[in-house]
Amino acid sequence: MRKRILALLALLFAFGMLATACGDSDSSSSSSSSSSSSNEDAETEAASETKAAFIMVAPIGDAGWNYAHDVGRKYAEEATGVATAYVDAVPEGTAEFDNYVKDFINQGYNVIVGTSFGYMDAMLALADEYPDVVFEHVSGYKMNETNMGNTFGRMYEPRYLSGMVAGSATSSNLIGYVAAFPIPEVIRGINAFTLGVQAINPDAQVEVVWTSTWFDPVVEGDSAQALLDKGADVIAMHQDSTAAGEKAEAAGARWVSYNTDMSEFAPDAYLTAPVWNWGPRYVEIIEDAKAGNYAPSAYWGSMADGIVDLAPIASDVDQSVVDQVMEAKAAIIAGDLHPFTGPIMDQDGNEVLGAGEVMDDGAMLGMSFFVQGVIGSTG
Amino acid sequence: MKLPRLNLREQPLPGGQPLAFGIGLAIALFVGTLLLLGAGHDPVKIYSRMFEASLGDPDAWSITFNRAVPLGLAGLAVAVAGSMGLWNIGAEGQIMAGAIAAAWVARIGGDWPGLILILMMLISAIGGGAILAIGPALARAKLGVNEIITTLMLNEVAIRLVQWLIHGPWKDPDSFNFPLAPMLPDQARLPTLFSRAHFGLLIAAAVIVVASVAVRYTAWGYELRIAGSSEATARYSGISLPTKVLTVLVLSGAIAGLAGGVELAGTADRITETISNGFGFAGIIVAALALMRPSGVAAVALLFGAVQIGGQSIQTLGVSSSVSTILQAFVLFGAIGAGVFSRYTVSFGNDSLPVNEEATS
Repeated sequence: MRKRILALLALLFAFGMLATACGDSDSSSSSSSSSSSSNEDAETEAASETKAAFIMVAPIGDAGWNYAHDVGRKYAEEATGVATAYVDAVPEGTAEFDNYVKDFINQGYNVIVGTSFGYMDAMLALADEYPDVVFEHVSGYKMNETNMGNTFGRMYEPRYLSGMVAGSATSSNLIGYVAAFPIPEVIRGINAFTLGVQAINPDAQVEVVWTSTWFDPVVEGDSAQALLDKGADVIAMHQDSTAAGEKAEAAGARWVSYNTDMSEFAPDAYLTAPVWNWGPRYVEIIEDAKAGNYAPSAYWGSMADGIVDLAPIASDVDQSVVDQVMEAKAAIIAGDLHPFTGPIMDQDGNEVLGAGEVMDDGAMLGMSFFVQGVIGSTG
Repeated sequence: MKLPRLNLREQPLPGGQPLAFGIGLAIALFVGTLLLLGAGHDPVKIYSRMFEASLGDPDAWSITFNRAVPLGLAGLAVAVAGSMGLWNIGAEGQIMAGAIAAAWVARIGGDWPGLILILMMLISAIGGGAILAIGPALARAKLGVNEIITTLMLNEVAIRLVQWLIHGPWKDPDSFNFPLAPMLPDQARLPTLFSRAHFGLLIAAAVIVVASVAVRYTAWGYELRIAGSSEATARYSGISLPTKVLTVLVLSGAIAGLAGGVELAGTADRITETISNGFGFAGIIVAALALMRPSGVAAVALLFGAVQIGGQSIQTLGVSSSVSTILQAFVLFGAIGAGVFSRYTVSFGNDSLPVNEEATS
C-alpha cells in the first residue's frame, strides 16, 4: 500500500506543481526580462535617499494597465534619478500586498505607489503605520491628510475621441464594448465613448458585455467574439489584455484598444486607443517626496495635464475624420469642449443633463446610468 | 515495462533525515546558484535576502508564521484524509467555504463582543468547510464515487459562490459599485501575538497536535490507518468503512474550512475571491512532503512558508517571479525530497520486491 501511496504522491507532486504553475503562468511569462537594473544596488544606498516602489496587480507583460504603469515608473526613474523597483502579480485582499510594502520599506523605499483599486484599504492602514513614507494610490478614492493621496485621470476625454473614430469606422452601426466591471469609471468611459460615436454617426449603437475581470484573455476574447457574432464590426474595450483585438483581427473587424497603443497585436484591426501616460505624474510625486513637501491630494488629471491621451490613429482612417478628431482634441484641451455637455439622455430617454449644461465632477465620479445609444445594463 | 519503485530501506541511512536534509538543501542551493547566475543576479545577495526576509528577525518570523498557518491547516486537512488513503483535492474550495461562513457571521454579528464573534466565526468556518465536503464524502462512502473528482470540482463552485456574493448581495454600498464586500469589523480580527503574527498560529498548532495524536495514538486513528492500508483487513476487524470515509472526509473539509476562517480573521480585510490564495493546492504538496503524516505537517508548512516568503521577497530585488518560483521549488524538493531518499531506495522492475511488503510497511 505504501508503494501505491508513494506512486500517487509522485503524481500529486506533478499535479500540485502544475496547479501552482498555472496560477503563476501569467507572471512567469511576463517578468522574465523585466528586472530593474538598479534594484539590487539600491539596497546599499543610504536610507535617507528617496526610493520609489510600485506594486501592481497583474503582470506588467499584459501590454495594458500594468505595462503602462511600468512605462511610467521607468520614465520617472530616468527623469528624477531616483531608484525605483516594482513587483507585479500581487493579488488584492491577501497578506501579500502588506508583506511587499513592509519589505520595500525595510529596504529603505519611502515612496510606495499601489496601482490597483483593491489595495486601497490596506494602503490606508499602512500609511497610518508608516507616517514617514509617502503612499500614492491609483484609481481609488480614499486618502489621509498627511502621507497618502490618490491619482487618477480623466480618461473620458480620450474615450470620447476614440468613440468618434469608432463611429466613423462602423458600417453595421453596431459597436461592441467589452468591459470589466459596472463601476463609475467604466460606465463613464462607455458613455463618453458612445457620445463620441454619436457625434460622428448618430445612428450607431454601442452594445456592452461585462466580463467581471480586469485581466483574463480567454473571457475577454470570448466576450468580443460574442459581440462580433451579433454583427458588431468595431470592438472597443475596458480591459487589460489584447485578446479582444485579436478576435476582431481574426473576424476582419476593427478595434479600439485601451491603456497603451496596442497596434502591433492586431495591426489591421487597430483604429486608435485612449492611453495612459503616468510618467509625468510619477515624477511630480517623487520630486515632492524628495523635496519633503509631499501633500496628499485627490489628483484627477486631464488630457491638458498629459496623464491621458489619444494614441495615433490608424493610417487608413479618412483624413477628414482625423481632422475632426484633432479639432475636438484641441477644443477639449483648451477647455472649450466637454464630452458630458447637455442635452444628455439616459437609456429610457429621460433628460439627465439640460442643453448647454456641463456635468460636474461629483456627478461624473458617481456615474451609474448609461446614455441613450448604449445597449446593456449597468447592473 | 520497468517502472521505478520506492522501497523502504531495512535500515535508515547513517545520519538519517538531518544529514539528508542538509545534502538535499546544499544540492538545491547549488543548482539555484547556477540559475541565479544565469539570470544575472548575485546569488549571495539573493540568498541572504531570502533568509533575512523569512527567518532573519522576529518581524520576518511573524510573516513566515502567518503564511505557514493556512499552509499547515490545509496540509493537515489533506493529510488526515490521506492517512486513510483518501484524496481531498478540494481544500482550496473548503477554505473559501470556511471564509464565506465566517464572513457571514461577521456580517450578522458585527456588534457582538469580540471573543464571541471570533469564536462563532471560527465555528462557522469549520461548518462551512465541512458542508462543502459532505457531498463528496457521502458519494464516496455510499456510492463509491471517486472523491478526487468531486472535491476538485467543488473548488469551482466555491469560487463562483464568493464571486456571486461580492458582486451581489454582499457588495459594499459605499464601494462605488466595485465588487467588494465591506471591511470586517475591528473586533472580528484575531489578536496579534507579536509583530504581524496573529493568534491563528496557536490555533493551527493546537489543531495539528490534536490531529496528530488522534491519528497516531487513539483507537480511532489506528482504525483509520488500518483502513488506509488494507480495506480487507479493516472489514475483517469489523471497522465500518463507509462511516470512516464519511467522518474522515468531513473532518478534512472542516479543518480546511477552519483555515479559511483563520485566514479571514487573521490577515484579510474582507472576503475576496483571492482569499484562499492557492493554499488549498499548496496544502496537497505540504501533506505529500509530510508523507501524509499529520505530525509532519507543521515542520513542512513552516519550511514551505519560509521558502515562499523568502522567494517573494527577492522579487523586490528585481528577481523575476518566474525565477523566484523555480528557486522555491528547488529548495523545497531538495530539502524535503532528500528526506524521502534517506528512508527509501529506488529500484526498477517488479521482481525485486519483498512478497510481504504490504505487511511490513
